[in-house]
Amino acid sequence: MPTSFFTGTDYALSLPMILLSLFGLGVLIIDLMLPAEWKRWNAITALIGLGFSTAAVMRIQLGHFADGRPLVGSFAYLSNVGGQVVGSVLMDGFSIYFFYLFLLGAAIAILMSAHYLEIEHEHHGEFYALILFSVVGMMCMASGYDLVLLFIGLELMAISTYVLVGFLRRDKRSNEAALKYLLLGAFSSGIFAYGLSLLYGLSGSTNLQVIAQALQRHYSANPKDPIAIVAMITTATGLLFKVAAVPFHQWAPDAYEGAPTSVTGYMSVAVKSAAWAMLLRIFLWGLYPLRPVYLPLLVFVSVATMTVGNFAALSQNNLKRLLAYSSISHVGYMLLGLIASDNITNKTGIQGILVYLLVYTFMNLGAFAVVTSLRRRDIIGDEIDDIAGLYSKAPTEAVLMLLFLLSLAGIPPLAGFYGKYFIFLSLIQTQHYVLASLAVLYAVLGLYYYMRIGSAMFMRPATDPEPVAISPGMQVALAVTAIGTVGIGILPEFFIRAAGWSLGIQQAGTSLLGFLR
Amino acid sequence: MSTLNAYILTIVTFIPLGGAVLLALFPRRDRDLRVFALVVSLLAFVLSLHLPVHFARHHAGFQFEQDIQWITTPNIHYHLAIDGISMWLVLLTTFLTPLCVLISWKSVHDRVKEFFILMLLLETALIGVFVSLDLFLFYFFWEASLIPMALLIGVYGHERRVYAAVKFFLFTMIASVFMLAAILWLYAHVGSFQFADTQQWLRGHGTEIQGAAPWLFLGFFVAFAVKVPLFPLHTWLPDAHVEAPTAGSVLLAGVLLKMGTYGLLRFNVGLFPDEARHNASWIATLAIIGIIYGALVAMVQPNLKKLVAYSSVSHLGFVVLGIFSMTQAGQVGAVFVMLAHGVSTGALFMLVGIIHERRHTFEIAEFGGLATPMPIYATFFLIITLSSIGLPLLNGFVGEFLVLSGAFLAHPLWGILAATGVIWSACYMLWMYQRVFFGKVNHDVNLALPDLSLRERIALWPLAVAAFAMGVAPLIWINAVDPTVRNVLSIAAQFASQVVAR
Amino acid sequence: MVPLSYYLVLSAVLFACGVAGFLMKRNIITIFMCIELMLNGVNLAFVAFAAHWHRLSGQVFVFFVMVVAAAEAAVGLAIIISVFRTRETLNVDRVNLLKL
Repeated sequence: MPTSFFTGTDYALSLPMILLSLFGLGVLIIDLMLPAEWKRWNAITALIGLGFSTAAVMRIQLGHFADGRPLVGSFAYLSNVGGQVVGSVLMDGFSIYFFYLFLLGAAIAILMSAHYLEIEHEHHGEFYALILFSVVGMMCMASGYDLVLLFIGLELMAISTYVLVGFLRRDKRSNEAALKYLLLGAFSSGIFAYGLSLLYGLSGSTNLQVIAQALQRHYSANPKDPIAIVAMITTATGLLFKVAAVPFHQWAPDAYEGAPTSVTGYMSVAVKSAAWAMLLRIFLWGLYPLRPVYLPLLVFVSVATMTVGNFAALSQNNLKRLLAYSSISHVGYMLLGLIASDNITNKTGIQGILVYLLVYTFMNLGAFAVVTSLRRRDIIGDEIDDIAGLYSKAPTEAVLMLLFLLSLAGIPPLAGFYGKYFIFLSLIQTQHYVLASLAVLYAVLGLYYYMRIGSAMFMRPATDPEPVAISPGMQVALAVTAIGTVGIGILPEFFIRAAGWSLGIQQAGTSLLGFLR
Repeated sequence: MSTLNAYILTIVTFIPLGGAVLLALFPRRDRDLRVFALVVSLLAFVLSLHLPVHFARHHAGFQFEQDIQWITTPNIHYHLAIDGISMWLVLLTTFLTPLCVLISWKSVHDRVKEFFILMLLLETALIGVFVSLDLFLFYFFWEASLIPMALLIGVYGHERRVYAAVKFFLFTMIASVFMLAAILWLYAHVGSFQFADTQQWLRGHGTEIQGAAPWLFLGFFVAFAVKVPLFPLHTWLPDAHVEAPTAGSVLLAGVLLKMGTYGLLRFNVGLFPDEARHNASWIATLAIIGIIYGALVAMVQPNLKKLVAYSSVSHLGFVVLGIFSMTQAGQVGAVFVMLAHGVSTGALFMLVGIIHERRHTFEIAEFGGLATPMPIYATFFLIITLSSIGLPLLNGFVGEFLVLSGAFLAHPLWGILAATGVIWSACYMLWMYQRVFFGKVNHDVNLALPDLSLRERIALWPLAVAAFAMGVAPLIWINAVDPTVRNVLSIAAQFASQVVAR
Repeated sequence: MVPLSYYLVLSAVLFACGVAGFLMKRNIITIFMCIELMLNGVNLAFVAFAAHWHRLSGQVFVFFVMVVAAAEAAVGLAIIISVFRTRETLNVDRVNLLKL
């Protein structure tokens, strides 16, 4: 029974999302009044909105969350199920960690976009509003503890992203990418929703905790309950679609290649992190009792993902497509972390995924920032030939790109290493030696295609003499991503701790899965 | 002095890095850049002299320790220390770097700034490899050394530089991943990356990990063997050397290869003495094949630089043989050969680079009778050639003698076969010397070649002096190495007493 | 009283029709309608389960699914129009600039 209706806690918990929505609407209105040469103020407004939202997240973290206990928010209804209070929002370290990640990714993407959109003659306020709205959706996905909120968040993010992908409406490739992304995205949402309906049917509730309890009962009564298994498979399919795991990855290279480059960067980090947040939330919280059932599935998917991602990346000549396949392969590594650890007996793998997503935000956005800056008048600039000889034209950018690529490949002094490190460590801890050696081999294979870009930049002559101009916003974006990539590489302590904190490793916190132990 | 002792390793390691950062901020005035790089590398050398001066030679353990927690979870320490083996390798690095700066004074015209930045970064990584006592930190520096070296080859090298750089990078990277796997396995079981903790743990759990130990040993071994490079994993080396710029070759042969042999001695023998003993025979066989094969291939090389590169394969074979003879003499000799090879092969690459600067070719057939136009050059070349062959009173002799005596002790056949390597090396080096320097000048261009400039002489003198000093007074070096090696071997002996003889 | 399983079978059939149509049809608008069909299958399941459990939350979910479907249709049709403008075709096989 509803015990209260939007309390003060709810207000505090939803403040980051409310602020973002308001700023998004504000951008839409301001945009109507701005003359064409003032469009940059849209970007600045959006950044201010992100800043306010960050402050609100910090308020939650330091104020409401200071004692480290997860907060349950009702968002309209709070029910009492079997003596436990369940709501639709779960604000724990996990959510807060992802909130920061989304805000960071969005901010860098906005910095990258302003100049790029001017070159494309598509500099409209809607772009920034859509980014803000998609962040709201992501926040719902990370903190949602109820199928309704998770689904709404997913769709809010997805629909905003469909439009962002097709934002260059006069460009055939952008249109086509948007269409493919839309069709496959909506299809996967449909499958996902079907899974949710079955989960609801099994438990009679849309709350993840209640679902977990019901699944636990079903599983102990009949481990091969067909409805539970179908529910798990359809839900998993929807989630794996969203993170672009093989065999549900076909949309990713097309959408990545056709989308405006800054949007590609945004999709590859923030949108992907959000999908991961939801995937982890559902697999580790809601579907946890079915872990013995979904584990073999995940093993198959992750091996297939690493294989396809790495081998397909080998033969790409388009930078965006190459990075798309490489990002698919990174998903494969992250899935290994989920295979290795269940967040109860072993947390290393999950911590690894969180660290991975953080460093991935820096290094992949950085790489896409460099690719974005290659776009000049009359030059699309996303083929490997376009980056050839970059070192002679823009040495700073070339060196930064090299840093990002090496980090993506997982070379130690750089941030990317720690992501892989934790994943490998968790595999070894849980004695998955075969998977560990496979992952190691693929990591080496990955080196090859990253080095192809590297050697094109440094060791080949430039194909066109057009200089590369870097806007101030892009300079900030590059600086932030570079500092992140190198800084985390050298002093990872804080960030590793942050990931540990978000899982309640570093600080004593109550686990909501306590009843399952 | 005691305060300096605690920080000296950090200072020596990171001075080049600091220099590289400052260099990046410098305006692009090439002369100033060169002078600054020289000053920084000399400063590092002078400070590193603190180490042998204050090193307690009778003491076998680690000295100048600095141990700070770097990351808590995972438990990673910033732990630096040196013993008799690593001290000399650090010194070799700091000694060679200023000379490399000098030798690339004129030969690098474009992107001078980046060249010296890369070189200083490389120096930091190399020193870091030798001083870190935390397995993670070691791996960190190990990989960090890869990038500047690959760029030095790939950007500043000769015609097929991209191919060589990529090959070098992939070979060493692929191999080192196996080491990473082994390190992570150890961490998952030991709970610490510290060298001492790991050693302790392995000693206590010898029987429990009997199944895993061979794999761990192999994981480390593959990474180091590629770096050494041990036959048949050596194919990247000639390409890398031929394409690399002179300074790159000097550091590659002089120091980078020693990372491999150092790793074999420190980790393979230090952590897994038992496995080392079990596998000694086939590894020594590979080393002997390497010695002879390297020498034979060197003999038929028409390319001067390739000849020196293959002679490296041959000499490094001695080092590996010495290490896996598992005798006191062999291992001390191996360390000495590492140092001697660093000096003499470094000098050889410099000399080859000098002639390439003048003639833009490495083909032996293009030369002949160079002693007439370039007498000073010929003299230096002769000294270094003789030291490389292993003439008594020069540095090559002592190490090879010790290695051979160790090999004889372990297995007479090894000693006999390896000893032929010494003869082969005399053949190819002297024959090469004869073809290049003696006889008539049959290419007219060679007549007008200028002799060594002052700068080049300044770069070569220290190496020649070092070659003499190491040959005349090897004890200065050996008495610091000796207790350390005895310590390594005594641990190995304790192990051996625990297990049944094979 | 119609038993729950009848509803579930119907919803599964609807959903399967949608999936099959999505995979086999070539016209973009038809494909889009197949997705709507899938969502309707989902809605039916939710309503049936809500009735079975005597809880409203399932019906609430249905409303949200409908809203989402409407939003998706709005955005989707806009994208389809812009694709049609640049290419003059609605056949997915002809939208092939990006290699699959």
